[in-house]
Amino acid sequence: MKRTFGLAMGIALATASPAVAVNCVDLPNPIYLQVGDTQLNLMKALGRKLRDNTPKPITLVWITSGSCSNIDLMYNHNPATGITLTMSYAPSLAEQATFTTASTPLSCTPPTAAPLFPDIGNSALFTSACTPNAPPATVNLTIGPRQGYVLAMPKGTFETAITAEEAYFVFGFGPTMLATLGSAIGPWIDENQLWIRTVTKSTLLAWAANIGVPAGKFHGTMLNGSPDVVSALQHSSDPKAAIGILGSEVYDGLRDQLTVLAFRAFHQYAAYYPDSTVTSRDKKNLRDGHYTVWSPTIWMDNVNGTTPVNADARYVIDMIAGHPVTPEPNFEPNVVIATVGLVPDCAMRVTRTLEGGPLSLYKPPTSCTCKFEATVDVSTCQTCSASTPCATGTCRDGYCEEL
Amino acid sequence: MRAVIFAILVFAFAPACGDDGDTKKAAGVSDAGAPDASCFTDPMTHEEIINACTTAQTIYKHPTLPLLNADGSLPALPQ
Repeated sequence: MKRTFGLAMGIALATASPAVAVNCVDLPNPIYLQVGDTQLNLMKALGRKLRDNTPKPITLVWITSGSCSNIDLMYNHNPATGITLTMSYAPSLAEQATFTTASTPLSCTPPTAAPLFPDIGNSALFTSACTPNAPPATVNLTIGPRQGYVLAMPKGTFETAITAEEAYFVFGFGPTMLATLGSAIGPWIDENQLWIRTVTKSTLLAWAANIGVPAGKFHGTMLNGSPDVVSALQHSSDPKAAIGILGSEVYDGLRDQLTVLAFRAFHQYAAYYPDSTVTSRDKKNLRDGHYTVWSPTIWMDNVNGTTPVNADARYVIDMIAGHPVTPEPNFEPNVVIATVGLVPDCAMRVTRTLEGGPLSLYKPPTSCTCKFEATVDVSTCQTCSASTPCATGTCRDGYCEEL
Repeated sequence: MRAVIFAILVFAFAPACGDDGDTKKAAGVSDAGAPDASCFTDPMTHEEIINACTTAQTIYKHPTLPLLNADGSLPALPQ
């Protein structure tokens, strides 16, 4: 029995993790990244597009780690924390025609002659949530798409919403202590059914900032990766009491297996989903301020003065941030951003300056709201063309955009 | 152990506010026994933005939380 199980596991592992066969340095134009695991789908989708970006082919070679660890690595370049583990990359169309964000990426061995420091580091929240230090002069920060975070439960729960006050008690006091105080908050009454992340992870830090519970005081089982939280929810021994923290894009990929909770922030009259309804994918509430649990993604690259050390790394960052790039890619970067569950700056109408901080109104230089909504859900915007101009707004990508 | 009572759980699609010029209006869905929730048609501050009128799905939930301080504020976290 054990041998059968071991054999099955061996086959499964061999299938899930292709054998390391190549050196990363031998891949076409490699750019090394260390990113939060919330950005995994972006790495796969954008990595795939960049492999086949004929104007400038690039191979994104990535490894995932906590946002605070990534910031520390980029800021301090401590040799002890250089990248030594096997890295991942997306295959080109010719290498694997069927590759999607659900596929297992290919693996490569990083160079070992000297500590490898990434060309690009990523934080999926404000850097100030990890360190009070400003970036060194050798690191440039670029604000990228916005990342939502959710509280999720296994499919089948009757619960639809959680308030910030409830979350404060559940995660700050813990169900065990609440029970002893006669104040259990149903259905989250089991200390062993709270699934959280470790304290360097953006998902925990973002929720900490939004419910007023310091990351180090969270009750629950700290897990290293988002897939661990998903697995814990899927295989919970008490699914009606199970709750976990996830990036919204992780939930989006598993909607048939998980339930997202609407969230009511402090001083808010009602609870809202990240999207306008529980079934839509438009991130409307995140974009207009009704859903408050989101962070900017921050993209760091090395600079010498104001000049990027690696121009292709900056090319990738500019693409992620929605800035114009030269040469123009043979795909639409903001469509890639939208399809992996992130929100480009041009679709946002609120902003903030610190993690969990107050929201203020925001208008981007140019709007892509209509295009974004059409990409992820349905757009109600007027369509336009050279022969059918907009009554109001600007015709862009076939839609009459506000700005 | 006292069970926590969720006083209200109204699940509705709240319509956007009207547009007759008032800044703060009834959201169209209220929870029994409590004042109508209000929304803002011309939000400027954080509190107005998060409570702006919207056509989005709105869920009203106002649980009774016995551990709140007398003034309704949150107690400090345990050490």
